[in-house]
Amino acid sequence: MIKGLVITHGDVGRELVRVAEMILGPVEGLAGLTNAGKSVQDLTAEIGDRLADAPEGTLLFIDDFGGSCSNAAQLALAGRGGDVILTGVNLAMLLDFATWRESMSTGELARRLVEKGRDAIAALGPGRED
Amino acid sequence: MPVVLARIDDRFIHGQVTVGWSRKLQPDAIILCNDSIAADPWQSRVYASSVPPQMKVSILDRESTARLLAPGGFRDRSENIILLVGSPEDMHDLQRRGLGLAEVNVGGMHYVKGKQELLEFVYVDRPDLQALRALQADGVHLVAQTVPGGKAIELDAELLAEMEEAL
Repeated sequence: MIKGLVITHGDVGRELVRVAEMILGPVEGLAGLTNAGKSVQDLTAEIGDRLADAPEGTLLFIDDFGGSCSNAAQLALAGRGGDVILTGVNLAMLLDFATWRESMSTGELARRLVEKGRDAIAALGPGRED
Repeated sequence: MPVVLARIDDRFIHGQVTVGWSRKLQPDAIILCNDSIAADPWQSRVYASSVPPQMKVSILDRESTARLLAPGGFRDRSENIILLVGSPEDMHDLQRRGLGLAEVNVGGMHYVKGKQELLEFVYVDRPDLQALRALQADGVHLVAQTVPGGKAIELDAELLAEMEEAL
């Protein structure tokens, strides 16, 4: 089973995991991690510790590309193979992750989640035609 | 090559810099100055990839940075530069090599074991404090501030002396 780690600014990651579990029930092997108050070095080490228990082929979700979370996630993957980092995490991606992770390879699941995450973004309401 | 922001930030390139300060200062380039990152192609690539595409980025060791930015160096006055270092020691070293900085932004020195809290986003040990005091003795104005518009706190001699006593 593919594991997931949601690394974000503030409590976004832990809250997303909590809300996903509110909807689906407990999701084993999915955890949130914050960058708050941590140097890149410490955050990288912390991600490394979490990955030590995870098989290669783990998905790392981050909120924004080009920040301490994505820098630390990339640095933590040095020397490993098969893991994938997905940026722009949203709730739809985590729900789909929990639903499909037992029937796909990490690469297949990652490509699917990119698509599902994008599909979840839409403009609604009358103002969209302005 | 005017340095529009000289910043101590152990996260180097991240949103506070590439979005926050860059939106205000409109830099042409970012120089990340760190000996160990500059010596490691993999780490250099990770940090370089985090810079928005319209902005140039150079990842250099202290010697190359000083050569580029010191008077008499390879200066191109048309470009605005954000200079990022990870520690007060590195900033002091650059200043000693002739950067002539008037102000340094202390943007983020996160907690690592053995450091004490000076501000919510500034943790220091003795070498940090010594380097900050040396910068100040050199006439550099030290301002702790994470993002433009955020609270700016002057790290004056009194505050640093108090902290050194508390360590």
